[in-house]
Amino acid sequence: MSMSPQEVREHMMTYLESTECQIIEKSPYHVTVKLSPQADRQLTGRPYYWGFVDRTGAEPETLSFTFVFDPERYDQHEQEKTAAARQQDHLLSRYYGTAPLLPQLGPGRIQREDVTYGSARLQQIWNAARQEGFCLYLFEQPPSLQRETLFSAPYEPWLGVCFKAEMACDMKKEELHFIGISLVSGQIASPFPDRLKGLTLSPRLPENVHIQPATLSLDAAAGLLESYLTGKLAEMDYGWAEQAKERLKEELAVIDIYYEDLLKEPDEEKLAAIREQFASRRSETTWQYEPKVHLSAITCGLFHLRSKG
Amino acid sequence: MNTSNTSENPHTLPVPLHIDRSWLDQLNNRLEKGGPWGDWGLAQLAIRGEEARLVTSFDELQCLKHLQGLSPLPHQLDTTRKVLFEMSGRAILADEVGLGKTIEAGMILKEYMIRGLVSKVLILVPASLVLQWVRELNSKFGIPAIAQKKAYTWHSDIVVASIDTAKRDPHKDFLLSQEYDMLIIDEAHKLKNKKTTNYQFIQKLRKKYCLLLTATPVQNDMTELFNLITLLKPGQLGRQGDFATNFVVGKRQPKNQEQLKDELAKVMIRNRRGEGPVQFTKRHVTNVSLQLSPEEQALYDGVTAFVKDEYRASGGNLSSMLSLVTLQREVCSSRDAVFLTLVNLSKKIPDESPLTAKVWELVNAIRAIKANTKAEKTIELIRQMNEKVIVFTEYRATQEYLLQYFQKHGLICVPYRGGMNRGKKDWMMDLFRGRAQVMIATEAGGEGINLQFCHHMINFDLPWNPMRVEQRIGRVHRLGQQNDVKIYNLSTSGTIEEHILHLLHEKINMFEMVIGGLDVILERFEKQESLEKRLVKMFLESDSNEEIRQKVNSLGQTLDQIKQQVDYESETMKEEEA
Repeated sequence: MSMSPQEVREHMMTYLESTECQIIEKSPYHVTVKLSPQADRQLTGRPYYWGFVDRTGAEPETLSFTFVFDPERYDQHEQEKTAAARQQDHLLSRYYGTAPLLPQLGPGRIQREDVTYGSARLQQIWNAARQEGFCLYLFEQPPSLQRETLFSAPYEPWLGVCFKAEMACDMKKEELHFIGISLVSGQIASPFPDRLKGLTLSPRLPENVHIQPATLSLDAAAGLLESYLTGKLAEMDYGWAEQAKERLKEELAVIDIYYEDLLKEPDEEKLAAIREQFASRRSETTWQYEPKVHLSAITCGLFHLRSKG
Repeated sequence: MNTSNTSENPHTLPVPLHIDRSWLDQLNNRLEKGGPWGDWGLAQLAIRGEEARLVTSFDELQCLKHLQGLSPLPHQLDTTRKVLFEMSGRAILADEVGLGKTIEAGMILKEYMIRGLVSKVLILVPASLVLQWVRELNSKFGIPAIAQKKAYTWHSDIVVASIDTAKRDPHKDFLLSQEYDMLIIDEAHKLKNKKTTNYQFIQKLRKKYCLLLTATPVQNDMTELFNLITLLKPGQLGRQGDFATNFVVGKRQPKNQEQLKDELAKVMIRNRRGEGPVQFTKRHVTNVSLQLSPEEQALYDGVTAFVKDEYRASGGNLSSMLSLVTLQREVCSSRDAVFLTLVNLSKKIPDESPLTAKVWELVNAIRAIKANTKAEKTIELIRQMNEKVIVFTEYRATQEYLLQYFQKHGLICVPYRGGMNRGKKDWMMDLFRGRAQVMIATEAGGEGINLQFCHHMINFDLPWNPMRVEQRIGRVHRLGQQNDVKIYNLSTSGTIEEHILHLLHEKINMFEMVIGGLDVILERFEKQESLEKRLVKMFLESDSNEEIRQKVNSLGQTLDQIKQQVDYESETMKEEEA
C-alpha cells in the first residue's frame, strides 16, 4: 500500500493536532508548525536538551518545521508568492534599492522537510503515535439526552487489543487483527472496530452511567482473545511454511554433503574447526529459513461501552 | 519480553508461535497506578500507520513505494526480485562495471528492512569507498548507515567499515560475537583465496542474508569462483573435488557448461553492458599531436639526457630514481611542474655536487620558455566546443598554471583535487554544474565525481597507468550520460608521451574499449611488475626512438593476447549464461 500526499498530510495533521502543536501556516501542500514540548521530545532527537530543561526548569524552546507533502506544487506556489512579493516592492526598491532575500539562519530558522510515504519522518510519527497511544482507558460518550433521563445507563467494559501477526521465514507477511472481548459476557467482537463504529470515545467518565461488574479477570480475557486469535491463525493457509521447510531441508542437505568428506579430516585440531564451521553454517541456515509466527500488540486498552439490550 | 509458547492452547499451528505478552503487563501496571492513559486519536493513527506499511504479500516488492527520487533500471529491479524471491537473500551480484551494483544492493537491503527481516547490518567495503557507501545509503535509500570510526560505532545497527579494519583486533572479536541479519561485501573478488585472513574472517561471521558484490567473479581461475560461492553457500557447486572433476578443464576453462550455468544461476546474477535497455553512449577519441616549440624541445631533451645519465650512473636501480622518473613525466606536462620538482631536487643534493650545475642548467632552460604549446591548444579546443569541459592533468603545478592561464583568457574554471575536503569538492562540483565552463582536475579515482552533465574531456597529459585513464573517462562516461563522449588526448610528437598514447590507443584500444575488462587484463599482465614500471625501464634503457617503438609494440602485443584470452573466456561465460 502506498499513500497519496493528501493521506500523508492527514496522518501528519492528526499527529500534530493530537499533540497540541501550534500550526503557524497550512495549505493543501504543506504545514508550518511549532512543535509542542511533547512532540519535540518525540521527534527531534534532542535528549540532552530535554535533560537540561528537565533539570534546570528552563523555559523550553521547541523547534519549528515546514513539512511539505507535495514538493512540486509547494515550490510552484512559493515561487508565485515571492514573484508577487517582488512586484509589490517595486516602488519601494526604486528609492531604497533592492535588498536580496536572505535565508534566515539561527534560532528562528524554520527547517523545511519533505514528507512522503517512504520518509523516515512519517515512520517516526507512526512509531511515536504507537508509543503514546499504547494503553487506553476510554468511555463511550452518550448522547446529551442521557443526562436528563432518570435511570443511569449500564456500561460494559471491553478489553480491546490490536494484534500484529508476523508470518516469517526467509520471506515475510503480516496481518493486523483488532479484536475485543466483553469482560462481562465473554463475548468476542471481531473485528472490534465494527463494534466501535459511530461511537465517540473519550477518557472522561460520562454522567449518570454505571459500570457493570466484570466477571472475567483481565488475564483470563487476554487468554481468551489469544486462543480465539490462534484459532483464526490456525485456519490460515500454511503452504508458505511448507515451502519454507522444504527449502530449509534442501539447503541443509547441500551443506551436509559438502561437509561429509571434510569431516573425515584426521587432524584433531582441524577437525574441531570444521565441526564448528559445519554447525554454525547449519544454524545460520535454520535461522534464515525456518518458518514462524510472531504475535505482538500495536495498542490495547479498556473500552467502556454502553450495554446493548 | 514476555514470550511463551502456547502449549496450553487448544489450537496448534504447524509452525512455532511466539506471543509477545508485554502489553498485558503494561496494561495491568497502568490499571494499578491509574494511568497514564494513551490518546485514542494517536492509537488510531498508530493502527492506520501499521496498516499503511503492512507487508500484505510474501512476494511483492515494497521498496519502490518507499524510495522517492530513485528510478531503478529494469535489470536492477529484476535483480532485486530474483535475490529476494528466488535466492532467499544470499547472492553474488556480479554485474559488469557501471551497471549499478550498489543500487541493487541498496534496494535489496531496503526491502528486507521494510519487511522487518533485517535490522542489524554489516557492510564491508574497501576503505576508500566507505564514505561513498554511507552517503548513497543515506541519500538514495534513507537507510541510516554509519561509517565505522571508533570502537563504539560497531554498536550501531547499520555499519559500513573497511574489511581490513574489521578483521583486525580488537574489532574482530567483537564482530565475531555478533549476529548480522545482513552482510554486504563490496569488491568481493578480493576474497578469492581460502587461505587469507580476510576469507576466514568472513567465513566465521554469523550472518543470515549475504550479498557479495564483484564485477569480476573470475579473474584468474575457476577455483576463485568456487571459493566465493563456498563463502556464500558451501556445497552449492558440490564438494571441492566434485567441482574440479565436474566443471573444470583447464585453469580458466569450464566444462559441462549447461550444468554449471544452472548451478551458477542459483547464486549469481551477472548483468552485462550492451544487453537489454542499458545502452551506453559512444566514445569519440581524438588524438591531438603537437609540435613542441624549440625552447620546450630543448628542455625536454635536457631533462631526458639528465634522467638517462642518472639512471646509468645508478646502475639501473629504479627505486632510487623516483623523483627523476617523475621529472621525466612532468616534462611532458608543463614547465611549472618540472620547475617545482627541480627546486625540490636541488634542495636535496649537496652544494658542491656536480649535479647542482646540471640542475641549474635545466632551470635556465625553463626560463627560456615563454609559452606552453599544449595550453594554447587546449584553449583553442575549448573555444571550439563552447560547452562544459573537464581537463585532466596529473600534476598540481600544471593545474595551478592552467587555472591562471585560463582565467587570464577569460574562461571561468574551477579546480578539483584529491586533497580537498568533501564540502569543498561538492562546492566545486556545484560551480562546475553552474557557472564554470571548465573544471581542471588532478584526481579521477576515489569517490563522488559524477559528471554526466559534461561530455567533453581533455587529457592534458596521460597517466602511465591505464587504470587511471579509465577512471578519468569513467567520471564522464557512465550511466546517465545522454551524449556521446568526446575525448581529446594531447600529445607532443617526438616525446615519450607519443609512445604511451600509441600503446594505449592503438595497441590496446583502451579509449573505446568496454570498461570492466581492463582491470582483469592488467592484473594478469602485472603479475611480475607493474606496467608503469616496465614503461619507465623500457624508456630509460633504450637509446633510440626506434628501439622504444619496437619495445612498445611488443608490449602491446602481449596485452592484446591477454585481452583476447579474456574476451574468449567472457564469451564462453556469456554462452553459458545465455
